[in-house]
Amino acid sequence: MDFTARKRKSIKPVEENPCSQYPHDLNMYNTPPTGEITLEEFETLAIHRLQLLRTLEQNSLKGHKIFSDEWKRCIKEELTKLELKKFVRLMNGLDGQTDLDYSARRTDHLSHYILRLAYCRSEDLRRWFINRELEWFKLRFMAQNQNTINRFLESNKLIYVPITEEEKDEILNELIMSTANMSDITIRTTNFFKVPFDEVYSLVRNRRIFVKMGYAYIPTSELIVCVQAKFRANLSEALSVANHRLPSLDDDRINTFLLNLYNSYTGKDYSTPNSEKEIDIRNLDNYSKKHFPLCMKHLHETLRASHHLKHDSRLQYGLFLKAIGVRFDDALEFWREEFTKIMDNDKFEKNYSYNVKHAYGKVGSMVNYSPFSCLKIIMGSVGAGDHHGCPFKHWDASLVKRKMMDCGVASEGIESILALVKNGHFQIACTKYFEFTHSLQAPSTTINHPNQFFEESINIATGEKKKIV
Amino acid sequence: MAFNEDHLPDLLPLYYKRLFPHSLFYQWLSYGDSQIFAKREISFTLFGDVYIRFQSFDRHEQFVQELHKKLPIKIDIGAVYQQRPKDRLTFKKLLPVQKEMVFDIDMTDYDDVRICCSGADVCSKCWKFMAIASKIIDATLREDFGFRNILWVFSGRRGIHCWVADHSVRFLGDDGRSSIAEYIQVLKGGMTAKKVSLPNEKIHHSIVRSLEVVDKYFVQSLVIEQDILGGDRLNKFLAIIDEDLRGTFKDILGKYKTSEERWKAFESTFTDLCQKGQIPRNLKNLKEEIKLQYCYPRLDIQVSKGMNHLLKAPFCVHPKTGKVSVPFNPRFIDNFDPAKVPTITLLDQEINEYDAKTKTLSEGVENSPMKIKDYKKTSLLKSVVIFEQFIRSIEKDLKALEEKNSEVMEII
Repeated sequence: MDFTARKRKSIKPVEENPCSQYPHDLNMYNTPPTGEITLEEFETLAIHRLQLLRTLEQNSLKGHKIFSDEWKRCIKEELTKLELKKFVRLMNGLDGQTDLDYSARRTDHLSHYILRLAYCRSEDLRRWFINRELEWFKLRFMAQNQNTINRFLESNKLIYVPITEEEKDEILNELIMSTANMSDITIRTTNFFKVPFDEVYSLVRNRRIFVKMGYAYIPTSELIVCVQAKFRANLSEALSVANHRLPSLDDDRINTFLLNLYNSYTGKDYSTPNSEKEIDIRNLDNYSKKHFPLCMKHLHETLRASHHLKHDSRLQYGLFLKAIGVRFDDALEFWREEFTKIMDNDKFEKNYSYNVKHAYGKVGSMVNYSPFSCLKIIMGSVGAGDHHGCPFKHWDASLVKRKMMDCGVASEGIESILALVKNGHFQIACTKYFEFTHSLQAPSTTINHPNQFFEESINIATGEKKKIV
Repeated sequence: MAFNEDHLPDLLPLYYKRLFPHSLFYQWLSYGDSQIFAKREISFTLFGDVYIRFQSFDRHEQFVQELHKKLPIKIDIGAVYQQRPKDRLTFKKLLPVQKEMVFDIDMTDYDDVRICCSGADVCSKCWKFMAIASKIIDATLREDFGFRNILWVFSGRRGIHCWVADHSVRFLGDDGRSSIAEYIQVLKGGMTAKKVSLPNEKIHHSIVRSLEVVDKYFVQSLVIEQDILGGDRLNKFLAIIDEDLRGTFKDILGKYKTSEERWKAFESTFTDLCQKGQIPRNLKNLKEEIKLQYCYPRLDIQVSKGMNHLLKAPFCVHPKTGKVSVPFNPRFIDNFDPAKVPTITLLDQEINEYDAKTKTLSEGVENSPMKIKDYKKTSLLKSVVIFEQFIRSIEKDLKALEEKNSEVMEII
């Protein structure tokens, strides 16, 4: 843990007394741990933390609404099964002051800092790590009561002063109109805080609060958003500092371990195209019909019908094609063939060929872009008249129903899919869609990547063929 | 004289030499610091659609020289980078540091609700969509976010652009930009018939304010002029309404002929059903949802979200229409007629007429009159004044910020 050797001088040494070192279940992780641990403990802590973060992610992917009671219950169960009782203890919100509590918090503190070393190494890793850590932070924060939260905020010098009664009376009408999911009575009684809008982007984005002259007026229950923003900013900066200092972390005993750690645990991103099986673009219609998930199938059909796709649609579909193994030359030909039905080749070359080259990392920043995951597609913004996005999330139920019928999904299947969609379980709906279009064979896990859908579909098909042979 | 595309190469030299307000342009984009201008990406599109990206100009004179030399048919403004964009090959990565936040509204996104024109065309009827959009967005930016340095520009053909240049906005990251853009974006997209959803009883104050703007236009400009319920268009209207209620409305509205009568029938039937308690709670705002769906601003949100997105500069000449992309004031947009925006041909004519007139007047007079700026001789004057006001307000804010910072320094 010596990688911040130079910086450590500026940080006051942490007192050994566990009571003052770890007074809360929550931690902003502003102070790195000091002292010695064994290599064995180092590795165990890292793996435990990773199991924790993976558990959080997987339960969201399974379709449990994040931070719902059901989600929390499943996480508790799984962590208990994995014998990660220390983390479970931190979720209880009791903020106890026993030795067991201190020990749990120490584990939390050390393991967080160890994973920083593994996850500071690239933009993608950092993003994944920050998002999971934020979830873990919020999960614990939400379990605490007002008293312990106040104590925690105070000791971290996060001080928020509510607006005065007079100020509140002046804007009471606006607060009532604009504060989401809160009754008039609660609005009258709860405290409101005035913060710059750039500290609460998520509330601004969804129009959940009253905004005036650059300030957001947030109720006590949304204070977490501000604290989270601080947490995110701190962590994000710390990770990039850690990344710059990595070269000075020259210790083979842990280097190899740390490298393998993130390699094995971020999930497949399909950024390297499947080179074994090359895809013949002449067969794309056939592939689309049999093996594409609905989102890609729709884009393919739209392209064939209108000979045009808007930018985001081209990106979503183009990267998917790249990842199923369509070669660059073929891809360029494929887009050209469609687009030149409504424009001349010159215009295509000028306005669109750059796009294809860009997607394959041939021009511009020369990055090999990864195809979009379900999460990215679901969370993306889809404007009027756009064809990209996730059909289950972004379409009218009636349209989903019609498409399902076109694809030959049985009526009981359609019903169960629509029910899932209604409850926001878009990926499970897609998984069900997979089953009903593959003679009830389920994919190995919930669909969380369009390319996973494709791969599993191909596997079933080739498996079948083998059987016939 | 009408604009003719073929004359553009002959007219542009004069335009850049005598009319394009390059001093103001430089003043704006340098924000009091010549280094900011030097690190700004300014791209040109030349005749023959040759597109040159990643240009930057160290000094004002250099920028002007290049304008005269290359005669771009379009100028795009990008971000200010950490290094000069023209040196980009010597750096591993070009990182954007600041840029105005921009909004782009294009009339083609309204093609499914306008009947007067389609595609690239625009007339005073569909221009109302732009009037509504600029008023709503301008009010939101000023009142909710407290931004003050805002420039609205007619794009030269069929759309409008908005530049927000407050100090705090220029340094916002993509996350901040997207949160503002999504706050403003009320229409959801995708393959849905109903694009606005206000399921809660209460409506957010910013949407209430937008509805006040919409109400001033809705019946006259949408119901009557765009005939949104007329003929077969009624079916499109009905598709927005929930399946359970659609039949009722279909029967009643079908009895009426004109769009206006049908809208009135919709309003009274809806009020009636509400009073009888036959409208489910999550549809109580159906009338508002429908109004917004038809005329709330349709943003190209990707343009606003990214710091490195380029947007056409004000005072470019549109190569197809010959019109200058002129700044306008959204408060007076109802008097703005896109058909009357000066073309480069007209400006050329005005300047010649003025010069001829003053020449005859000054003949025989000993001292020739003081030289006045060329744009003041033309109908471009009004637009340049708006541009000037925008730059003055930026300067005022920069000065205030400087004073505030020096005070802080003193305290320290």
